[in-house]
Amino acid sequence: MTALEIGVYALAAAIYLGYLLGRSMSGGAVAERARAVGVAHAVLAAGVGLHLCDIGARCIHGVNPISSTPEAMSLVAFLIAAGYFLASLRYRLAAAGAFAVPAALATLVLARVVPAEADAPHMGSLGQVHILLAVIGVAVFALAAVLALLYLFEDRQLKRKQFERMMGRGTPLETLDRLALTCVSVGFPVFTVAIVTGAIWVARLGLLRHTAALRPEYIFALATWVAFGVLLIARVGAGWRGRRAAWLTLGGFGGAMLVLLTYFLRHAA
Amino acid sequence: MGGTAIDLIVLGVSHKTAPVGVRERLAVVPEAMESVLGELAALPSVREAALLSTCNRVEIYVATDRDGDRAAQALGETLARRAGVTSLELGAHLYERRDAEAVLHLFRVACSLDSLVLGEPQILGQTKQAHETALRHGSAGAILNACFQGAFRVARRVRRETAIARNPVSVSSVAIELVRQVFGGFDRRQVLVVGAGKMSELAARTLRTHGANLTVTNRTRARADEMAARFGAAVSDWSELPAALGVADIVIASTGAQRPVLTLEMLRQVQRARRGRPLFLLDIAVPRDVEPEAGSLDGIYLADIDDLQKVAAEHRDERKNEAADAEAIVAQELDRFLKAWRGRQLAPTVTALRAHVLGLAQAEAARTISAMPGLGERERRAIADLAESLAKKLLHAPQMALRNDDAADGVSLVVAVQRLFALEVAAAAPVEVADDRTDVPAAPAAGDVPDKKAAGR
Repeated sequence: MTALEIGVYALAAAIYLGYLLGRSMSGGAVAERARAVGVAHAVLAAGVGLHLCDIGARCIHGVNPISSTPEAMSLVAFLIAAGYFLASLRYRLAAAGAFAVPAALATLVLARVVPAEADAPHMGSLGQVHILLAVIGVAVFALAAVLALLYLFEDRQLKRKQFERMMGRGTPLETLDRLALTCVSVGFPVFTVAIVTGAIWVARLGLLRHTAALRPEYIFALATWVAFGVLLIARVGAGWRGRRAAWLTLGGFGGAMLVLLTYFLRHAA
Repeated sequence: MGGTAIDLIVLGVSHKTAPVGVRERLAVVPEAMESVLGELAALPSVREAALLSTCNRVEIYVATDRDGDRAAQALGETLARRAGVTSLELGAHLYERRDAEAVLHLFRVACSLDSLVLGEPQILGQTKQAHETALRHGSAGAILNACFQGAFRVARRVRRETAIARNPVSVSSVAIELVRQVFGGFDRRQVLVVGAGKMSELAARTLRTHGANLTVTNRTRARADEMAARFGAAVSDWSELPAALGVADIVIASTGAQRPVLTLEMLRQVQRARRGRPLFLLDIAVPRDVEPEAGSLDGIYLADIDDLQKVAAEHRDERKNEAADAEAIVAQELDRFLKAWRGRQLAPTVTALRAHVLGLAQAEAARTISAMPGLGERERRAIADLAESLAKKLLHAPQMALRNDDAADGVSLVVAVQRLFALEVAAAAPVEVADDRTDVPAAPAAGDVPDKKAAGR
């Protein structure tokens, strides 16, 4: 099942990338391009469906989607793909698919190549809440990062006056900016609660006392939280927008990626 | 193509054949449409009429009886009279297409392949309007309906399958499309028009229709007031230009100044105050109004007249490339249309031919019998049978040939037979061309019953 959904996501990612990077709209390619978007959305929908079935099947076999880091990563991938798919039904976001679907694909592949923790601590309900909220928070930040990436991509095209390449296929910069803000506004409180519950959980487990006082992932998680906090204050409070906001979003998401990477490196070692 | 008798004639002038001086004399205003259509439909040999009158063309489409020449001549004279010139003078500008070529012309016009700006979208609406007007005034019938419906179908396909009408080709529409890439639309956007010249006015007029909020600023305040009054725009004093730039989303700069009025330094200050809120500068002035380096500032996007013209030119080239694909679609659809048309004509023609020949045989047999009064019943029957049998045998081969006719060699046997035997076949009902059908003749409609009078002639 996993190989199948990875294949389907890969196919969708390839079509979205072709859409974004393909040459201009000449040569009778309009209908083909419109069809390509339709096909990409359909393939992605199939991938999301398969992925959901996969997660469901694992649940039936007693593998909780938040029971281990790989399972949680798979859930992040699912939320990115499903979130993007739902947003693309409402907004003209075909170009963002070229970032969102590869991101979901990479996360899923990563989730499946890393073995589950052999010594996963018993989580209890607090641990489960922490992981679930962290997963949702990271997935929403990932979507914000995708929108920020597309913003920077389109901004660069406008600055370089590559107007011809943009016509008819981009998403308006303002829409991207607004959607990214929405994502951060939703993701930040969720991530905040995840950090708090995580801190309490870790304290309860006594991990802080037994091991190094502060593991790198705690610092990265805190840095992520600070980055998005600053971004939110700057955006809502000081009206920050545009390129700087996009870079800060990417920075914050980079922190979240470092947290995950640290987990992986630890479990892979 | 020439072998298909759709008795359709188009007569007209367009931007390609006549200067505006001639076109404007022939143009028909909507209020006069009814009387002109009535006049055209009453001309000899004219059965149906429709009139397409736009800035770039005035065309009359008429369905005629067999005497197309008479109809064409009458139409030419009517047009010349309307234009107040002689037929000879008008003839130099007039073009005429008949039958399948007239259908092809209509298809190309509806697809905007004959337009001044290739792919422009208005012509399809104008063609639809022409058809609706003719329908409303009762001057459009089976033939015109079939041809116009066919044209709309082709135009839809061309728009769907080619990029001929996709990308904007005028500077103003390119600018609008670019602004959409940043803001999504103009609705409630603050547009600052810098300069109150002719170009600014054109831009303001376009933007107004897109729902933008306009503010005008000009070095001479009175001209800004004047322009603002015309467009219901606000006015900002020239001295407050930086403040006005601070609240604008889009700036259209078109002053006659010799040096940039929107300097890098001014825009740098404006940009700081905007905190990344995007500002789109459209500099359509020559010499330029915006210092080019301003385009590198964060959140400020700049397009000058060359940028816009470059995109427009690329789109025009693109449309030319797309035109070849569009022409291929038109040719394909015309072929399909003509085959369907022949299919509709086949059944009534065969019926009319049979009625005509069998009627002749019966008449001749009756004449022979009446000239020989001494014949008994058996002989009389033998003569009648002989005549009928001979007629049927003679009819067999032509009937088979008609049924297998695909007019591949450019000659339609259906038409040939109609003309050879002077068969009067009722006009077919609108041709329904199914997507997957290419050569299956449609079942005859109720209106296809052969004309008994003609058959017996």
